[in-house]
Amino acid sequence: MTEPHELFVISITSRDRVGIIHEVTKAISELGGNIADIRQSVLCGYFNMILLASFPLRTTQRLIERKLAEADSNSESAIEAVVRKADEHSLTSSASMPENAYVLTATGHDRIGFVATITSFCAENRINVIDLSTTISDDAYVMILVVDLNHIASVSDMRRDLQKLSQENGIKVVLQHYDIFRAVNEINLPIR
Amino acid sequence: MIRPEEILNTVDMIQKENLDVRAVTMGISLLDCHRATIELTCESIKAKIKHHAAHLVETCEAISAEYSVPVVNKRIAVTPIAHVGAGFSAADFVKIAIALDEAADEVGVDFLGGFSADVSGGTSSGDHELIISIPEALTCTRKVCASINVGTTRSGINMDAVVMLGQTVKDLAERSSDQGGFAAAKFVIFTNQPGDNPFMAGAIHGLGQPEIVINVGVSGPGVIARALERRIAQDGSENLGLHDLAEEIKRTAFRVTRSGELIGRRVAKALGVPFGVVDLSLAPTPNVGDSVGEIIQILGVDAVGAPGSTAIVALLNDAVKKGGTFASQSVGGLSGAFIPVCEDQVLANAVRDESLVLEKLEAMTSVCSVGLDMVAIPGSVDAATISAIIADEMAIGMINNKTTAVRVIPVPGKEAGEFVSFGGLFGESAIAPVRSAGKSSRFIQFAGKIPAPIHSLRN
Repeated sequence: MTEPHELFVISITSRDRVGIIHEVTKAISELGGNIADIRQSVLCGYFNMILLASFPLRTTQRLIERKLAEADSNSESAIEAVVRKADEHSLTSSASMPENAYVLTATGHDRIGFVATITSFCAENRINVIDLSTTISDDAYVMILVVDLNHIASVSDMRRDLQKLSQENGIKVVLQHYDIFRAVNEINLPIR
Repeated sequence: MIRPEEILNTVDMIQKENLDVRAVTMGISLLDCHRATIELTCESIKAKIKHHAAHLVETCEAISAEYSVPVVNKRIAVTPIAHVGAGFSAADFVKIAIALDEAADEVGVDFLGGFSADVSGGTSSGDHELIISIPEALTCTRKVCASINVGTTRSGINMDAVVMLGQTVKDLAERSSDQGGFAAAKFVIFTNQPGDNPFMAGAIHGLGQPEIVINVGVSGPGVIARALERRIAQDGSENLGLHDLAEEIKRTAFRVTRSGELIGRRVAKALGVPFGVVDLSLAPTPNVGDSVGEIIQILGVDAVGAPGSTAIVALLNDAVKKGGTFASQSVGGLSGAFIPVCEDQVLANAVRDESLVLEKLEAMTSVCSVGLDMVAIPGSVDAATISAIIADEMAIGMINNKTTAVRVIPVPGKEAGEFVSFGGLFGESAIAPVRSAGKSSRFIQFAGKIPAPIHSLRN
């Protein structure tokens, strides 16, 4: 898209049902918006979507919010939308994985502060979380984080620190390079 | 993005199911190391190995840590030494073995293979001297492994060599009687020996190979066993056919091989050495849950060696090859299921319980990837009978156009049913009876050659 335009990031939350994406994207297209990228997921019956779209010049945040509010009022369940202007120069591609992507799995009893314990470790060590999900496996609570270790000085030091964290909190932590998961689960071999 | 259940399965494969890379083996050509004297030859061999393999172990360890996938063994395979040492005496060949052992020690590898010769079409003087030197060479060194190729489908079986090697096996065992005859575990006799096999004791850097190469041996019987158990628990055995289980093995072999391919390529790249092949073998260890025998039981026989065992090994061996071949750019070596008795607790128990006998094991080897491997037999078995056991196994390989091998250990001073332990990855086993020992000597005395088989009329 070469014409002058305004970029916006829009996030949508709703109870999951048929037709939400249709209603939201119809409203965007009526404003002349062109969708660049979308991520959507459903968690326990709740729908969440984040999208990046470019709009004709002079489209304002207020205008988009009003249009989405209109879609909300015509909808059978509430659609909550948050709209913000995106800085075109700070966009990063969400398609490619950084070279130092690792998968960190943390397994333990479900308890208050489980996720906070792991993520505060990540924050203290300047580890950026690229993807996070949780699941129950064999009655244990499992956190799966895809993390970027580009800002880590030494992976072996980090493993040692993780071991300590694991012992102190009774959480089993495993850190493995993302390539190994790609190698054994995908047709293409990740070659670096 | 990879799905959470795939991530958890992969984590389990590595953490709980013994997925590892069994061997990263650097092949090194020593063809340019022959010098005018044995001393200079030994020096040049050591210098070349040290030059190329100096960083092998640390590189494997760094990449293994990065992926959290253990690389269990780091090894070296060299040009069959009969080619390098041709012209020297048996005593000189022992000096070469010592030089190889010192080089292996200095670079920190577990084993070095290639104290070897190919005598399938006949024995040259260099081959002869090497064979004579084997008992001393393998008992005055720790890390050197020897192998002799006595037959090929194209040239038949050199029975003169088979006669000599029955005695070599006896001598090796007797010289190491304080270790239960362990030196015989470092020596293997082949038909159709591959030149790119990364597994010991039969690893060599064959004549058709590049100057330096990295080959990888994967493993993972535990991963296959757990995948089969999960599938059977999930679908119920009444709803599954053997074809479904073969498919499960194939898919799992793909995953296992992929991890080997990834790590092997990274090691090769880091060392600036070409990557050769992945050997897709299911190589068991004495650890609980890392057994090929266990897979045979999961596939439906209560006792390994019961009728059906051969068919199961055939299915397993083929499914592993099919899954692994697609996972890797080039596959080589032995590639299939190993059934080394001492190294596999379930197989060793089957020998103890007498459900698995030598004759059934031989039948199973006709469809597995190697042969009679790590079988402890009574020390009283005579050399001619060992030669005859070798001849039988070589015939299976020659006629069926496949690799077969014999690595038997006649345990000095022990009889069938007694127990021997070699320690570590070599494991332990009850001693398997050899029926009708001593009744093949007229056959062995004929010696000579078994002619190459016809290539048409294949029934």
